[in-house]
Amino acid sequence: MSSDLSSLALPTLAEAGRRIAAGELSPVALTEAALARAEALQPKLDAFIEITAERARAAAKRAEKEITGGRRRGPLHGIPYGLKDIYDAAGLRTTAHSRVLIDNVATTDAVTTARLEAAGMILIGKLATHEFATGGPAWDLPFPPARNPWNTDHFTGGSSSGSGAAVAVGILPLAMGSDTGGSIRLPAAYCGTVGLKPTYGRVSRRGVAPLCYSLDTTGPLTWTVEDTALAMQALAGHDPLDPGSADVPVQDYRAHLRDGVKGARVGYCGAFNRDGEVGPEQTAALDKVAHELAKLGAEVIEVALPPNAQFQACARTISHSESFAIHADVLRTRPELYARVTRERLMLGGFLTATQYVQAQRLRRILTRKVDALFETVDVLLTAVIPGPAPVLEETDDGPWRRQQPLASVFNVTGHPAMAQPCGVAANGLPLSAQFVGRHFDEATVLRVGHAYELAAGWVEKRPRIASLGA
Amino acid sequence: MPDDLTDDFAAAVRRAGVAIPPDRWEPMREAYYRMQELLKVLDDPLAYEDEPASMPRYDRGA
Repeated sequence: MSSDLSSLALPTLAEAGRRIAAGELSPVALTEAALARAEALQPKLDAFIEITAERARAAAKRAEKEITGGRRRGPLHGIPYGLKDIYDAAGLRTTAHSRVLIDNVATTDAVTTARLEAAGMILIGKLATHEFATGGPAWDLPFPPARNPWNTDHFTGGSSSGSGAAVAVGILPLAMGSDTGGSIRLPAAYCGTVGLKPTYGRVSRRGVAPLCYSLDTTGPLTWTVEDTALAMQALAGHDPLDPGSADVPVQDYRAHLRDGVKGARVGYCGAFNRDGEVGPEQTAALDKVAHELAKLGAEVIEVALPPNAQFQACARTISHSESFAIHADVLRTRPELYARVTRERLMLGGFLTATQYVQAQRLRRILTRKVDALFETVDVLLTAVIPGPAPVLEETDDGPWRRQQPLASVFNVTGHPAMAQPCGVAANGLPLSAQFVGRHFDEATVLRVGHAYELAAGWVEKRPRIASLGA
Repeated sequence: MPDDLTDDFAAAVRRAGVAIPPDRWEPMREAYYRMQELLKVLDDPLAYEDEPASMPRYDRGA
């Protein structure tokens, strides 16, 4: 095998898989390139908590031996990936970016880790997160916050912050994130990558540190929609030992990926975006997405979501209550172990009442039915996931109560699959993002629409300048 | 901020069993107030048949 690697970003999952299958690319060379990029960019981005070089090199040699021996496992075999540091990987620490778990070594793989390992992927390292996938960027933790590769003065979004940075800058073609209120889609949006929050129950959460049992999802961040489809094919499936896992057949995510959007019905949530205080640049970018989809043959119609305040009341009550239940003991006995912002946001859950929690769960069912009803007339929804480009990191809201009403947590409340993907660049050079949302367990349609838009719009060609080593 | 919410906050902190340093008391009390403002929507009456979304499903085992 030859190694025809440039000094630029690593190839996508799809491209790497094709080249490995053709004998044009070596897993060992690909892994060395990923490790070199990870080491070179770590001082600028702080994307990793741990780079697992020895383990990666050993895995790459095994993969290369298997592939050259005619035992290629599939399209992901021999390709590097990374894990948000709330995912267990046997023998490695899972710190959740926290002093609370600073010495916590996993004895087994998370189910998702095991699935990617079984597919032959090569773990390059554990990635930065907001502490326990909540809180915000904090400087009073054992590890610094990740930085946005488009402009390192800016926020990556969170909580899958290292995952967004590492994929955007081309260290990794796939990084795992988790999404309880937007934590896959927000870093994807701010870092200009694709990020899919699958339907609740579609991908196992076993072996991933919990934040909120009834809202947590796990899923991929990648550079392209096609790569998300490839990753989902390996990740999706029923896990009988995950109480939230759904026993629903897995779609073929690539079968109709290239079918286009002719005749597809797209519900554009323009009023919801205005309700969510989306800025003019982001709004204009979304209008262009709707226009582009119409040009491609989709039928775009305006639809109305329920008021964002109802979703936020649900999301915040449920998330704060469940996360306080998980962290109550440490919050009461060793609160100094958390960053201030994490500690204060987690504590808010202790101030809620049982009645508020039950009412939020009742309203959640009502809101889910209302969104389901929209899918009787449309195939996907198009909506904002961020109000505008990434804010400056040091100016990120670090108070106990988030001022900005999140837009992403709407579909954690309802459980629908939701994908963020690039849809433009703001005047300050930072990415803008669109969100496509589908029916429960219909990730395939979300991917098909996203893929058609991605091919037509061409944002996929634009990487952050820092991705070129030496920039 | 209404006085009754200030009293509520002190009671909520005691019930939660957490300690808030004096220099963070005001920001946390403000956050509590903001949260209660948002959650007023949960006081809207619901029909008897509106059951919670998180009902147990015993067909899948415990």
